[in-house]
Amino acid sequence: MTQNDVRSTKPVPVVAPWARPFWDAAHEGRLILQHCEDCDRVIHYPRMACPHCSSTNLGWQPASGRGTIYSFTVVQSNAPSAFAGDVPYVVAVIRLEEGVQMLSNIVECNNDDLVCDQPVQVVFERLDDEFNLPKFRPVR
Amino acid sequence: MANNRGQTAIIGIGEVPTGRHRDQGAISFALESALMAIADAGLDKNEIDFVIPTGSLFSSQFSNELATCRLVEELGLKNVTSNCEVFSGGSSSTNALRVASALIETGRARSILFVHTDKLGTGLSAQGGIDLFSTAGISMEWEVPYGQHYSTVAALATERYKFETGTTDEQLSAVCVSNRKWAELNPNAFFRTPLTIEEVMASKMLSTPLRAKQSNMLFDGGAAYVVTSAERARDLSEKPVYVLGEGGLVTHFAYHQEPDLTRFGWAQAGRQAFEDAGITPADIDVAEIYDSYPIYQLIAFEEIGLCGRGEAGALHMSGATAPGGTIPTTTDGGMLSKGHIGAGGSVSLLVEAARQIMGKAGPRQVPDCRFAVETAVGGTYMDAQVTILGSEIP
Ligand SMILES: [Zn+2]
Repeated sequence: MTQNDVRSTKPVPVVAPWARPFWDAAHEGRLILQHCEDCDRVIHYPRMACPHCSSTNLGWQPASGRGTIYSFTVVQSNAPSAFAGDVPYVVAVIRLEEGVQMLSNIVECNNDDLVCDQPVQVVFERLDDEFNLPKFRPVR
Repeated sequence: MANNRGQTAIIGIGEVPTGRHRDQGAISFALESALMAIADAGLDKNEIDFVIPTGSLFSSQFSNELATCRLVEELGLKNVTSNCEVFSGGSSSTNALRVASALIETGRARSILFVHTDKLGTGLSAQGGIDLFSTAGISMEWEVPYGQHYSTVAALATERYKFETGTTDEQLSAVCVSNRKWAELNPNAFFRTPLTIEEVMASKMLSTPLRAKQSNMLFDGGAAYVVTSAERARDLSEKPVYVLGEGGLVTHFAYHQEPDLTRFGWAQAGRQAFEDAGITPADIDVAEIYDSYPIYQLIAFEEIGLCGRGEAGALHMSGATAPGGTIPTTTDGGMLSKGHIGAGGSVSLLVEAARQIMGKAGPRQVPDCRFAVETAVGGTYMDAQVTILGSEIP
């Protein structure tokens, strides 16, 4: 399998209708987060109704794009087929400043230097014509 | 909540060896296990009035056959009112026992047969197994596109847990060694040759800090158990295995949503189960802890109260959890050494817990085994499930 073949089989997000604005913004290189207009909580990932108060009065707000690495792992072998050509790659749970967590990849880093609680900043990587994936790099 | 302590009991168990049974269909493992469990229970097959199969991951076609009464027909069970699948991945054993107990307590069923079978060892390729576990229970929108799979899931918890508790890679490897010592004594286990910490530490790195020998491997296998009322159990069985307490907490679907990857919902689930059972962790004679990866055995062990936070690694290192130790743990060898058979990971553990209480565990029998705790968890560690079984009702 060539590098191109691996890329072409990359899984794309299966988008829930209410999350569409998140992916549209990511496509434009902006990280936005859902916000409950009733209980004033920030929500991620986006929901049909607020997971705290069940309100459907939900809006969107720009995110700072800053957070910390809650935990991380460097995948070295036995990756899923679509990612076999990417090893080593870093999977991490990011704690955003806004108080929500998301799964992402850490990029533009020395894998050996990563530590828990390290500050990171969002960057966007093109997946295909439709999707940019929010990823994170260490704050320099 | 009403306390149902000791109202139901497991009276029969059956299990086939975990392995690579290329020439046998998953149906064989199911039927063989079911026949063993019915015979062990001392029941006529037609006394089974409710059948609970759980899902089989290797084939949706086969799993659908289980949901659509194939077992009832193949076994020729004539008085079954309902065949109803209970499936929650790795926690299916506990959830099925919970459902079965409730049906019996409310008089809706008398004798329930639970059956698990899967063929993940030879029904899928090695890469097919990795790919299955890069989507099963993983969010297609928020995690799959980032290359999340079961190794990364376990590695993320391991990295954070090491960071917070100072637990070492050697201590994590000691879990594998402890479980292997039990597997050496279990004819149904796949890996039965001695293992050292050095060998675990020298194995291939999968996803830092998780190594190959700290990861379960997928196999074929099956197991079954029969549940009935405590009253009936006393007539049928010399040593009924009473269901004393249960606790559970669902914490997430998508792994990254979990607020504490070093604790999950075990503390609450454990408290509930012990309160129900009327015993404390100090009363436990054997702990059958879900061990798909060493990190999960350590976390559940600590959080349900068998030792303090951050102490489980040293305890496994000391030999306390191994044969002859003070707290025999995961005595069938677990998923790390007996082998992972999908939802069957925790079925094996539940069957082993019952086996220990029945006094039928052969060379790995824990002496005077009165109380056993079993833990189970499905998906990407989505739910903490704790069951307490006993030979007597406190
Ligand atoms: Zn709200």
